[in-house]
Amino acid sequence: MRRHAYAGTTAICGIGATEFSKRSGRSELRLALEACVAALDDAGVEAGKVNGLSTFTMETNPENELMRLLGIAELTHFSRVHFGGGAPCATVQMAAMAINEGVADYVLCYRAFNERSGHRFGTGVQGRAPTATAEEAQYAWTSPYGLLTPASWVAMFARRIMHEHGVESEDFGRVAVADRRHAATNPAAHFYGKPITLEEHQASRFIVEPLHLLDCCQETDGGQAILVTSLEQARDLRQKPVVIEAAAQGMADEQQMMRSYFRQSLTGLPEMGTCARQIWETSGLSVDDVRTAIFYDHFTPFVLPQIEEFGFCGRGEARHFIADGNIELGGRLPINTHGGQLGEAYLHGMNGIAEGVRQVRGTSVNQVVGAEHVLVTSGTGVPTSALMLGADR
Amino acid sequence: MRTVGSEQPAEQDLFSDYVGVSGLPVTARHAVNEAMTAHWCDAMGDGNPSYTNEEFALSSLHGGIVAPPAMLDVWDRGGLVFPRHSASPRTKVMERLFADGFDSIVAVNAELEFSRYLRRGELVSNVEVLDDVSSLKRTARGPGYFVTTRHRYTNQLGEHVGDLMFRMLIFRPEAREEPEPAEAEGVPDPDPSLRPLPAINDDNRFFWEGAERRELRVQRCGRCSRLLTPPGPRCPACGSFEMSWTVASGRGRLYSFAVPEHPKVAGFSYPLTVGLVELEEGSRIVADLVGLDPHDDVHIGMPLELCWLEGAPLPLPQFRAPAPVRAAETVRLDDLSAGDVLPLCSLPITTTLVVAGAIATRDYTPVHHDRAVAEREGSKDVFLNINTSVGLVERVVSDWAGPEAVFRSIRLRLGAPGYPGDLLTFSGRVAALDSETGTATISLTAKDSLGDHAVATVELLLPRAPGAPTRPRAPGAPKAPTAPTAPTVPGGPGSPGGRRS
Repeated sequence: MRRHAYAGTTAICGIGATEFSKRSGRSELRLALEACVAALDDAGVEAGKVNGLSTFTMETNPENELMRLLGIAELTHFSRVHFGGGAPCATVQMAAMAINEGVADYVLCYRAFNERSGHRFGTGVQGRAPTATAEEAQYAWTSPYGLLTPASWVAMFARRIMHEHGVESEDFGRVAVADRRHAATNPAAHFYGKPITLEEHQASRFIVEPLHLLDCCQETDGGQAILVTSLEQARDLRQKPVVIEAAAQGMADEQQMMRSYFRQSLTGLPEMGTCARQIWETSGLSVDDVRTAIFYDHFTPFVLPQIEEFGFCGRGEARHFIADGNIELGGRLPINTHGGQLGEAYLHGMNGIAEGVRQVRGTSVNQVVGAEHVLVTSGTGVPTSALMLGADR
Repeated sequence: MRTVGSEQPAEQDLFSDYVGVSGLPVTARHAVNEAMTAHWCDAMGDGNPSYTNEEFALSSLHGGIVAPPAMLDVWDRGGLVFPRHSASPRTKVMERLFADGFDSIVAVNAELEFSRYLRRGELVSNVEVLDDVSSLKRTARGPGYFVTTRHRYTNQLGEHVGDLMFRMLIFRPEAREEPEPAEAEGVPDPDPSLRPLPAINDDNRFFWEGAERRELRVQRCGRCSRLLTPPGPRCPACGSFEMSWTVASGRGRLYSFAVPEHPKVAGFSYPLTVGLVELEEGSRIVADLVGLDPHDDVHIGMPLELCWLEGAPLPLPQFRAPAPVRAAETVRLDDLSAGDVLPLCSLPITTTLVVAGAIATRDYTPVHHDRAVAEREGSKDVFLNINTSVGLVERVVSDWAGPEAVFRSIRLRLGAPGYPGDLLTFSGRVAALDSETGTATISLTAKDSLGDHAVATVELLLPRAPGAPTRPRAPGAPKAPTAPTAPTVPGGPGSPGGRRS
């Protein structure tokens, strides 16, 4: 058993976001700044106190520009996490480690982009000129054959999950329906007031069969920031501290970027299993302690193996777990109470951390009673990360 | 587009003199012989030993070498000299139509019925009857007439050996209004030269060098022989940096697949099916599936065979249904059920196949060997003649059913042309079984990228299970191992022909 030292000593003290839209009308840098300012305001912390920044390698807004424009005199920690949507929970882990080590006092984790009005993420890697790096060379095994988008990469797994576990498209659809139902009551959600039915899911066109349109999140313009500090300092701030009970990164089993087609089995998410093991070991919690979870849901199919990797049900049983209503409000484990990336916004999972914080604070629009410990996950199919957030007792 | 409406009325009268009229007997220049049979078998890839292997044939139900039944209408072809028999009513109709600018011909239907198999030394004749000339029809190729003839085949003794119903379209080629649709409808250019380039570095170059040689290379550790996919510079099993490769057999099974629909990307033809293929060596590879409908034909676990996409920036491996596998044993009627599915199989169409098939069936019509003529007549290239399509159908069914399945009939309707570079994928099923006569009816479709190339119905006489009362004997076989009741001959000369395939 291994327990991470920062767990229980660090906390999220502020969250802040821009509106989520299809066209922000402002620069990505401005979105990042607005989100950071909102998180500082939420916490009641002055920008000058921040001495750490953590973000994605994919982020286009450099730390020096944020430092300069937030009016920060100096930074003692700045870290980036690779692998796209696998990063969000890990940026919080980087922050917590820096704080626990005494390297930094306040670390802002941020992600902001015009992913809808600017470069659309869902178009994937088409038209990308190849360079001979080891990372780019991996696309040689898929791009010339027409697997060019995240949806196409996931579809190959989805088909195999269906084949081995008897999963039907409707089982994926139930995830989308639950997410959109939760988004429908969230005024910040892109799909506020727009629930869908399973029939609508089934009738939506295929993007990459077996994925329907409504199995796929849509790109968003927006920014989200999370402010991390020590639990001790957080107790003196504006909001109730949200304790980082555990955080984990995971990469496993012949890992590739969304295209781990060469590993023995395609029906699990071993990298998420690596996270799950650390989350349970570090937090000392079990599935019985968790009443709600934020599962990364850029595409519905990968929600199923996440439920299984964390042990909320057995292997191959997620479809029954979902069909039995467990992921709905009032169920055993309501998921993505903000609407998820399918319903609220696709902020590469950063908005999911914010929802985890709101659940622990008791301020979610779809508040789950007794949500003392909230599990949040990062991107699926990629090297990933996860968080367990909890109330300060 | 030229209007043809005004030519409509008088035409029936035009041809009524010829309909129902018989031509004079046409007799083959050469008797049924070993050389022509061998050429035909080579062209079709038909390895049935009943046609070529004396020893096998003697002990078979045929009791000796027989000719491929699909060659029925090949023996008496004129060949390169191609004299049109002036007494032929069809020739008269054709001459008339040619004069009006209807100067191009494509075959549409061939329905062959075999009373018995031919043997070497027999000299074949046929008598033609003009059965029908249609009214003027608009077709995809241009306005034209469907002309139907019936041919009764006999040997030198006048013994009836088979019949043919043949229908051709005689048409005036028309520049097709190609709706240059691609860009207009927002469908990107499918030209494979526009496919994304792979990033090539020192660690994967061997693969692409292999592709240039049409070898599917899989990285293998030079020390411990472990296969590594995707490749890398170090063996994770033994730690060696001495990485080598092996050439995969190209046989594999489908592990998973995806069907990308949005966004559509230049360089790809949609529907696109991308497979994750498990090679028999044990490693996997992503590659496109060709000639397979993602909904009708593709299922996880299906066997696949390597082929190559030409015209991309680098040759790309792709997978198709396997080539037909020739059964050594003949399937028994009692082991079949109606609805049984024949294994999906495919054959590439090459210029060589088109030309070899045409010449092996003594069809010297220029569109089957001369690209310039084919283009002038509105085709993009030479294309398969109907006798090759019939031959390939016979080969595919024979490969599946085994060497002693006896063909009673092959009825084939031709659709989309078969051009070089395309692939024929054959799907078939057992449509009906008649245990009285020992006959199995097989439905077969040969599909290419343009649609259904051929839709065929084949009747086979199949052996019964051991202990079944009789062993069917090929009609006309010289010796009868047992004393069977003579099988009824379906579709003899007097029977109503023209059954729809």
